[in-house]
Amino acid sequence: MGCVLTKRTKQTPGYEEPTVLAAETPFTVCEVEALYELFKKLSSTIFDDGIIHKEEFQLALFRNKNKKNLFADRIFDLFDLKRNGVIEFGEFVRSLGVFHPHALVEDKIAFAFRLYDLRQTGFIEREELKEMVLALLHESDLILSDDVIETIVDKSFSDADTNGDGKIDPEEWKEFVKKNPSLIKNMTLPYLKDITLAFPSFVLCSEVEDSEM
Amino acid sequence: MGFTNNIGKYRLGRTIGVGTFAKVKLGVDTSNDQYVAIKIIDKRMVLETNLKIQREITTMKLFHHLSIVRIHEVIGSKTKIYIVMEYVSGGQLSDKLSYVKILSEAEARKLFQQLIDAVDYCHNRGVYHRDLKPENLLLDGKGNLKVYDFGLSALQKPGGMLTTACGSPCYVAPELLASKGYERAAADIWSCGVILFELLAGYLPFDDRNLMVLYKKIGQADYKFPHWFTESQTKLISRTLDPSPVRDRWFQTDYKQSCRDECDEKIYLDDVNTAFESMEENGAELKMLQSPSFINAFQLIAMSHGLDLSGLFERQASNKIRTRNDKKETIRLGSKLPVDETIKKIEAAAMNVSLSVEKMNNFKSSRKISTKEPHRSICLWQVIGVAPTNCVVEISKSAVELRVYKESTSLLTEKSDTSPRMQVPEEVCISSRSTQKLEWYLKI
Repeated sequence: MGCVLTKRTKQTPGYEEPTVLAAETPFTVCEVEALYELFKKLSSTIFDDGIIHKEEFQLALFRNKNKKNLFADRIFDLFDLKRNGVIEFGEFVRSLGVFHPHALVEDKIAFAFRLYDLRQTGFIEREELKEMVLALLHESDLILSDDVIETIVDKSFSDADTNGDGKIDPEEWKEFVKKNPSLIKNMTLPYLKDITLAFPSFVLCSEVEDSEM
Repeated sequence: MGFTNNIGKYRLGRTIGVGTFAKVKLGVDTSNDQYVAIKIIDKRMVLETNLKIQREITTMKLFHHLSIVRIHEVIGSKTKIYIVMEYVSGGQLSDKLSYVKILSEAEARKLFQQLIDAVDYCHNRGVYHRDLKPENLLLDGKGNLKVYDFGLSALQKPGGMLTTACGSPCYVAPELLASKGYERAAADIWSCGVILFELLAGYLPFDDRNLMVLYKKIGQADYKFPHWFTESQTKLISRTLDPSPVRDRWFQTDYKQSCRDECDEKIYLDDVNTAFESMEENGAELKMLQSPSFINAFQLIAMSHGLDLSGLFERQASNKIRTRNDKKETIRLGSKLPVDETIKKIEAAAMNVSLSVEKMNNFKSSRKISTKEPHRSICLWQVIGVAPTNCVVEISKSAVELRVYKESTSLLTEKSDTSPRMQVPEEVCISSRSTQKLEWYLKI
C-alpha cells in the first residue's frame, strides 16, 4: 500500500532510512519513524525546509525563538554533527540516541564532557566552568557574591581535577561522574521510551515490512 | 501455546478476539515474559477514518487507571497498526453475562462503580468512549472491571457502531441515533445506564429485532423495569437513562473512590518522585564530596533549562492534553538566607495562606505543599544549599493536572453531579492561586 504523501515529504535534506538509523542507535525502526514525525514538526515551525535551525531549536526549548542560552547553544552544536549550522534528521536521531534511557552510560558521560568543553580543547578548564556557572546564575536570576562563586568553582574544580594539572581530562571526568551519577541525569530523556505513543501518526506512514519485525 | 512470529520485542500467540476492523492476539513481551494483548488493525480501515487515531492514542498514553486497560506501545508496519495493551485474563463482561444472566446487587454495584470511575476519569481528561457495551468491558482475574478501547472509538468507521455487523446498537444513546449534535459525556453515561439495567435485569432495556422499532424505543426511552428492581435502583436507572447519574444513594452504598485516587496520586507524584530521586543522590554526594554548604558547580550548571530537552517533546506531542512527564513546571528562586531559615520562612508563609506543609521522609530540606480539604498535593519545594549563606528554592508544580481539570470541568460540573470529586477542580485552581500568592508573599 503506497503512502504517496509520505514519500514526497521524505525527500528532505539529510533524511536517512529508518532501518539504517535504527541499526546505529537504541531506537527501533518504528521509534525512528515516530521521531521523524517529531522532527517534521520541529523543523517546520519557522522555516518549512525539513531541517532544524537554531531559532527553531530555541523555540521548542524555551517557547521563544530569540532566547539565547549557553547550554542550549552547546547542545545544538553537538547535535549538528556536520557542523553546517543546522540539524538534519540523521543528526537528530543519532544525537537523541545518547539520551535514550537504554543508551550506554559511557556515551552519556562523553556527551556531557563535550558539552562542557566549551572551547573544544579536549579538556574542561577552570575558566569554562566559571563561565558556565555565571551563565546558570544569570539564567536563574540568582545573585551570588564573587567570593561565593569563586569558592564554588574552586572547590568543584579541584574535586574533579584529581591529578591537579589545572584541567579536567576525559578520564578524570569519567571518574567524577561515577562518584556523582546525578550529574548526567539530564542526559536521559524518559520521553524517548514511549515515543511511539507520543507520535502515533507515524503508523500511518510506516514503511516497515511485516516480515522485518 | 504456539507462538508463530514476532512484532518488535513481542512474540505473537493465538488470536483472542476478532472484530470488524481488528483482531486481538495474545503476546508475550520477551523482555520480561509478561503477557500482553496486541490489537492488530488493518491500516486501510484507519486511513478511511482520518487521523483521529493519532490524537486518541496519545491521550490513552496518559491514562493510568486501574479500571482502564493500559496501552503500552504502538507499532506500525506498512500494512498494519499494532496496539500493545495490558492483557486482562478474565474475558469480556458479555461472556460472563451470557452464563450468569443476573448479577447480585453487590457485584453489579461494584462493577458499575468501577465503570463510572473509569468513565469519569476519562471525561475529566476530555476523552469519550462512545461505544460502551459489555463487550468492551473486561474482567481481570479478581473480577474487577477494566474498560477496553477507551479513546479508540475513532478507529471505527463513522456510523459503524449502528450497523448490525458491528454488534448491537442497544447501548446507544438517543441523541446519537438522531445524529444531532450530542453531548458526548451524556451519551457515555446513557450507555452506562443501559449496562447497569442489563446487569441487574438479565436483559436489555431496549431490544427489538427490527432496528427501526429499536431506535424508536430508544428515542422515546421506552422501557420497563422488572418487578424485582428496588426503588433506589429504579430511581438511579431512570435518572441515568435521562441522563445524569450518581450522587445517588444506591450508587454511594459501599462506594469507595480509593481505586481512582490511588491512581491519580501515582501519576500526580511522578515528577515529584523523580525530583526526590535526584535529591537523594545529590544529598549523598554533597556530603561525601565537599563541605555540605557549597554546591558542586557541575551540579549547579546541570540545572540549566538549556540542558532540559523535554521541551522538544512537550509541545510537539500531537494531543492538546500533555503527556504525563511534561507536567513538571519548575520555578527557581534565590534566597539570601541559609537553608534552615529559608525553610522556616516557607512554612510560615504556607500557613499564612492555609496550606498544609509536610516534611518528606529523609529529606530535611524539602516540603510538600498541599491543600487541606480535600488533601491534595500541589507543589514541592526543595531548598538546595548553594553556599553557607545562600540557597536556591526549586518549586515543582504539577501544572498538567490543573490545566486538564480547568479544561474539562465545564462539562461535568454543569452537566451532572456525577461524583463528589467534581468539586475538586475548582479547589485545585484556587490552591494554585494561593501558591502564587505564596510565592509572592515569600519574595525570598
